[in-house]
Order: sequence, then C-alpha cells, then structure tokens
Amino acid sequence: MSNETKLYKTVRYIFLICASIFVFVPLVPLIFMAFKTGAEYSATSVLEPPKNWLNMYNFSYAMRVGHLGKAFLYTAVILTISLAIQVTFTAMVAYILHRFDFMGKTVVKVMFTLTMFIPVVATQTLIFRMMYAVGLINTMWSVIILYSGVGIVGIYVMLNQLDSISREIDEAAMIDGAGYFYTFAKIIFPLMKPACTTMIIINGIGLYNDFYIPNLYLNRDVQTFTVALYKFYGSMSTPFEIVAAAIIIGMIPIMIVFIFLQKYIYNGLAGSVKM
Amino acid sequence: MKTKRFIALVMGMTMAVSGLAACGNNGGDSSDNGGSTDAGEGKSEFKTADQIDKESLKGKTITLYTHGGNRVLGEEKKDADGNTYRDESYAYLKHLAEKFEGEYGIHVDLQVNSTEDDIRPLLQTQDPSIDIYTSPNWSIEEWQQYAEPYCTVSEAKELYGDYAETMYNDGTYIYALMPAKTYNNAVVYNEETIKKVGYDSIPTTQAEFEEMCAKLREAGIDPIAMHRIENWPLSTINDFANYVAGSNDAYPSMLKSDTPFSESEPMGKTIKMYTDWKSKGFFEADIYTDFGVAMDSVGNGNAAMMLFGAWVVPQIQGRVPEGGDPASIKFAPAPDFGNGQYVMASAADSYAISKGSDDKEAARLFIEYISEDAQYLADSGYIAMKKGVDPIVPDLYKIIDDAVAAGTCKVLYAYATDDNSMHNEEVLSEAGLLEDVKYVGNLFDVIDVTKEPDWAAYDAQVEKQNKAYVEAREVLGYSWQ
Repeated sequence: MSNETKLYKTVRYIFLICASIFVFVPLVPLIFMAFKTGAEYSATSVLEPPKNWLNMYNFSYAMRVGHLGKAFLYTAVILTISLAIQVTFTAMVAYILHRFDFMGKTVVKVMFTLTMFIPVVATQTLIFRMMYAVGLINTMWSVIILYSGVGIVGIYVMLNQLDSISREIDEAAMIDGAGYFYTFAKIIFPLMKPACTTMIIINGIGLYNDFYIPNLYLNRDVQTFTVALYKFYGSMSTPFEIVAAAIIIGMIPIMIVFIFLQKYIYNGLAGSVKM
Repeated sequence: MKTKRFIALVMGMTMAVSGLAACGNNGGDSSDNGGSTDAGEGKSEFKTADQIDKESLKGKTITLYTHGGNRVLGEEKKDADGNTYRDESYAYLKHLAEKFEGEYGIHVDLQVNSTEDDIRPLLQTQDPSIDIYTSPNWSIEEWQQYAEPYCTVSEAKELYGDYAETMYNDGTYIYALMPAKTYNNAVVYNEETIKKVGYDSIPTTQAEFEEMCAKLREAGIDPIAMHRIENWPLSTINDFANYVAGSNDAYPSMLKSDTPFSESEPMGKTIKMYTDWKSKGFFEADIYTDFGVAMDSVGNGNAAMMLFGAWVVPQIQGRVPEGGDPASIKFAPAPDFGNGQYVMASAADSYAISKGSDDKEAARLFIEYISEDAQYLADSGYIAMKKGVDPIVPDLYKIIDDAVAAGTCKVLYAYATDDNSMHNEEVLSEAGLLEDVKYVGNLFDVIDVTKEPDWAAYDAQVEKQNKAYVEAREVLGYSWQ
C-alpha cells in the first residue's frame, strides 16, 4: 500500500470517526436520561450514566400516560393513507410530465417548483380557516389531506426513475391494446418501485417527525406521536427523563422501517443521482 | 416564550386586590354587549349564577383549556425509587369538575395546553370547541377579540373590591375573572436546609440575609436557585424592586428617571443587588436544565431558597424526596432592603370565556362555581376573595400572614395596568431592552462568576442602558403622567 493510499485511508477514518461522534454524542445523554429515575436525573450530570440500566419505568410510564400506543396507531393510519395518496398522485404527475408533451407543460413544472419557496406557515392561517369551514379540525382527515399533496422533490425522484424505464415498454403495451391508465397502473407504476420506496421513506420520516401540522390541526383527542410527546412538556417544568424514554420509543418504528427498506432507499437515491 | 408564560402567570397572580358581584354570564352573544352598563342602576347585562337556568344546561359538555397541568393531571412527584409520577390527589381542577358535573349535570372536558399559542388558532376561528381558558398574556386588544366580556369593572369591584381593577379589563369590561388573591414573589425556602447553617427562619434584614447566604455557600449549598438559563425568572426582580422602593410602582416609575438603571433608582439598585449576589456565589453554581430541576434542588436540599411566588410552593413540596417533610418548604417575606419589609399581593388565577363558545352560560356557571369554592382555591395556593365566600387561607401563607398581622411586613397591592406601566413597557421595547427581560439580563450577565467581578464593565452597561432608555422615551414622547 502506497503512502498516499495510507494517508487517504487515515484521513477517511478520522473524518468518519468525527462524523460519527457528531451524530452519536447528542444521543448519549438521551439514552442515559431514559434509564435514570427522576431524582437521579435532577441530581446528576446529563453525561453521567444511569445507576440501573434495567430501569424501564420511564418507558412504561411514557407508554401508559402519554397514550403512545394510541398515538402510534393514529400516526400509522395517517401516514399510510397520506403516503399512499401522495406516492400514487406523484407517480401519475411524473408519468404525464415525462411521457407526454402538451401545452403549458413547462408552466406546470414551474408552478410545482414555485411551491417549494412558499413557507408552510405562511399559508396556514388561510388553510386552517378552510379546514375549519369544512369541519375537519380535530379529525385526522385534515392532516391526511395536507400530507397528501404532490411535491416537486417527489416529482423529480419519479422523473429520474422514469428516465430509466424505456418508452418502448409503453409502446409495446399500447400495441397490445393497453390504454394509458392500464399501461401506467399495470406496467410502469410497478417498475417505479424503487422511486416509490425512496419517497415513502424520505417523506414518511419527515411526516412522522412533523409537529407543526398535527399540533395545529389535532389538538385534542386524535394525536400523532409528536403531539403526544409534546403533551409531556409543562408550562414551567418537564420530566425530561420520561420525554427521553418516549423519544427512544418513537425512534424504534423508524429504525425498523429503515433497516428493512434501506436497500430500496439506496437504490432509489442512486437512481435519482444517476439521472 | 417562557417569559411570556411566566408573565402571564404572574399577571394572573399579580393583578391587585379586593371582592365581586353580578359577574355572571349574559349567555347570549357578548358582541352585542356594547360598552354600556346599567350596573349603576342595579341592573346588569350579565347573568349571575342564580339567574342562569341550570335545568336547561343539563347534559351539556363544556371544554376548559388550562396551562396548569398539575391541577388536571396531578402534581408531579417522585416515588420511593425516585421515579416521576403524577399524584392525582392533587388534580384539584379535575376533582372540582367532577363535583360540578355531579351537581349540575354539566360535563367539563379538561384540556392541558403548554402555551397560549396552542389555543390561539381555535380562538382566532372562534371554534366552539373551546369554552373556557386560563391566563394568556395578551394585550387588551386581544382580550377584546378572543374573550367574552365577563362583567363590568364596577360589578367586579362590588364583589372583589379593588382587586377588580387589576383583572384583565379595558376600563369597562372584565375579560377574565380572577376569583382569588395571592402573595407574589417572596422567599420560598427549605427550612431543613437553612437549619443546617443555624437558621430556622429567613432573616429580616438584608445584611443578615446575605450572611446566611454566605454560610450556605460555605457549606456547599446553593443559597438561591434562580434557573438563569431561561430569561423569565429575572422578571421576578420587578417585585423585589418594589420591596427595595417600599412602593408598588418601581417598574412604571422608571419613566420618571433619566437614569433608571443606576443604583440611585429602585430598579437599578435591585438589579445591582442581584448581580452582587451573583458575584458572591449566592445563585446556583450549576446550570439547571429545566425549571423542574431547579425546584427539585430546593426540594432535595441542594439549594436553600427560590425568590418566586407562592405558586412554586406546592410544586416544590411535591418534589421533597421520600422520607422528607413537604411542610419544610415554606414561604416568607423578603428581608428589609432598607425601606421595611413588604410583600406584593394581587388577584390570582384567571378564567375567560371564549367568544366562540356555544355554551357561554354553562361556562359562566362553572367559573362562578370556581369563585365560590374556597377549598379548591386554597388547594391551588390561592385565597378566595369573592364577597360572601369564607376564605380558606392555605398554610403556606402563615408566615407572611403572621408578619402582616404583627405589622412587621406591609402589603403592597400590585400596580394596576395604566398608561405609565404601558408606556414604560413601550419605551423598554423601543430601546431593545424588553424582550427576554434584557433590561435585567444584560446587566446580570456582565458579571462572570468564574472571573474577578468587572464592575467597571457593569457600570458601562448601566450607562448604555440609561442612554438607550432616555432616547427611546424621547422618540415616543412619553413622560410620567
């Protein structure tokens, strides 16, 4: 191994170790806190490990008092429906923009792009009033509708995927008598699985962690995980050891999903970059 | 944000004193109330509890949003293993709502919000899902926009005396009923902790108080837990400036001076006193990650005192570790800073009816029910003050009550919001000193406890703030009225 290669390898490892420290250091006190008793948390440094690593009290308390089970259920329902709608519509929009030429196509693309520059909060007063007018406040449908919108990032991910799917497939299907919708639904859409999975994961994590929309629209009985977590925060004091446990509980579903679907994410992103 | 929450809380507890009357609900659309009142002729546009048709309200549900989670979920406590739990026996508002439902057949759905911003969208849309809410820190314009007028000021004065003046009002209408009174910022202390350095009560002079603090520090105990990592605890200095001045107007009186932050003025003197205490190590050595941890430190004896209002006493008592005596957490007047011993008193706790409520009569009935339950108010740390209601004085007030009765401590009633207080606030804001209590924090933070105190730098900051204040006052054209 040449000196240059050794140096490169050393620098690479140093960089990776530093990056890992940046990622993991904030997690360490969180994990420590989650296993501490309330009294221990108050009396010790956040960087001091817990006395009893088997103390599961905070986890059970968070689940029970925070109604996290119910919150997970609502979160799952909201994400499943909204992501299904979002991915389907995004794929449809991308398919039309990719495969067809029509008047105003550029305008449509620009319009989608422009939405990226409008902050979510800027439109919320108006949207809240609209949701209120149709009676959707404090129902999960308000959040589902807001989460189901088609975004430009998703469209670009899909467009990149479509670049890799030959138009000859469409033509062959048409020759065999398939209509546009049949061709999209039965042939093209299944081939877009990596892009769809990428979208589901990336947007899913974003929506799972979103606090602003559900807190605004679901302030009462229907709560997502982030809103349930917020309920632990008091106006003056907060039992952070319980919050830490709840956060760790909240990380578990995301980690499971990520572990099982990571190959699709990498494939999808690689596909996107390739384009 | 916490500054706002705290000020809201303090306003709730800090608005000044006395008794109540035809404060009932008009039940109809309050926007039709106009500005007139016939109270002078003995005829009110608002119904009293007696005038409300209770039968017609049976089976209804009203929703109350409160930031006081401890009165709904129970006090946060530690079990024998030190784990946190909620003791539901302290969920006084929940118990009261259940009792109310038993008597009137009206269900009260209790919701806990962390800040007023949580409920603002519902109020902006006049969502009927919110009927009653507690204690937002709003301008009078916002109160007019979001809250049903509860009664007229003159009606409230009949029942609550002079305290009515300091409830949220626009000069004609009260927008949030504050049915109780309380003593504001004073000394909350752990008796067992100060006993360790030879004291069984809070000294009555500044010199003795500082001597006790020095002994505590020497013994490795934090004399005072402040929780400086957040800004809102600094706003308690306003009350202490009143004690230094021996009057209730130290804060608005800043308008009178060209040098409000100099030691010659009550506010400047008080900030200097706090900063001097800081330089002597009288405040916590460590950073508390949360106000709850600060309260824990007094509960478990790591710190001896807090300079806060009565509202923290039950919360710290709940944090005394297993085996300790919660009654060792006590509340005493601040020492004499040169003008005598004083304690601020004010109206406390606040309940407003949402403009969008569909059940205003039921909401009013519940608020009236609260105002007449002296036990609930006492359990909450307040003293009922409605005319005709026998008050129950919580034990925590005993030391102050005794001092007041003995004449060694005088009561100062909170300064009612007027042009002077509002103008002072505007001047501070214009000078860039209002947000996050910068008029205190900028000075307090000059002294670095890890180094030799740099009082020259402190004096320079005083000059800078004085200049900014005077310039802003001139720009706005305000003067003391």
